[in-house]
Amino acid sequence: MDKFHGWTVSTKPLHIGLILSVILILASYRIVTYYHLTNVGLIMGVFALGIVQALLQLVFFMHLGLENRPYWYMITFLFTALIVLIVVGGTIWIMSNLNYHLMP
Amino acid sequence: MKAFPDMYHDQYSRTIFGFWMYLLTDFILFGTFFAVYAVLRKSVLGGTPPDVLFELPYTLWQTLILLGSAYTIGMGGAFAHRKQASKAMLFFGITFLLGVLFLGLEGRELARFIASGNSWQNSAFLSSFFTLVGTHGAHILFGLLWMVLILISVAQDGITAQTLRRLTCMRMFWQFLNILWVFVFTIVYLMGEIQ
Repeated sequence: MDKFHGWTVSTKPLHIGLILSVILILASYRIVTYYHLTNVGLIMGVFALGIVQALLQLVFFMHLGLENRPYWYMITFLFTALIVLIVVGGTIWIMSNLNYHLMP
Repeated sequence: MKAFPDMYHDQYSRTIFGFWMYLLTDFILFGTFFAVYAVLRKSVLGGTPPDVLFELPYTLWQTLILLGSAYTIGMGGAFAHRKQASKAMLFFGITFLLGVLFLGLEGRELARFIASGNSWQNSAFLSSFFTLVGTHGAHILFGLLWMVLILISVAQDGITAQTLRRLTCMRMFWQFLNILWVFVFTIVYLMGEIQ
């Protein structure tokens, strides 16, 4: 029944996930309140911290990537992530392009 | 012929994997809302811009509370797998209280926006903001109602194959909502500070 190497009964991954998530939240909060996102590097940095936190919680809270073969959880997740990337990236791309060409 | 062992064949594994597929479709739904928000976030129509509207310390507390609840529901799930019903109930109960607190804070914030003339009808930015945050809040509300029903069934039956399945789905749902909130916090609130 347990495909996740005992992580479903273990509390240690949860402690690690909580501590790392709090650090990442406070770090991105500190960057924004202190430096006010004045350049592209800071914006990308804050976004990267969010991505890292999401991946971290997927692994430490939801046990993604711990299963044995066949990796159905991972395969379905990666496919969905690809779809979301196309939908979100494509929308932002096409709409900013449209906005640029319709400038008065 | 021996292929890979099929570990998705018992009722528990099939239900959990099916629920995971549902969560992934919800991921796409929220992805479209994030895309709409990213496109419309500068269209404030002369109204209050996001960096004036949002109070970051308030949202930081909301974020930490929801993160704490994702942690406590994980603890509850671990104790449920150890067949310790009372400890699992305790942690799911704490999660419920933290969830109520989060939803209360969110409701208060949205009510403040509406009272200050920043309702969803006032600009495209506010429409997309209320759609995104409102859908997340609706999921939280549904999760809280669902949690009450599951806790009643656990109180009656203890940890059985059926209640363990329900508790695990609940845990995944809640932790997934917290992951979505990470993006709401980063993209909506923190990036709202970009001029």
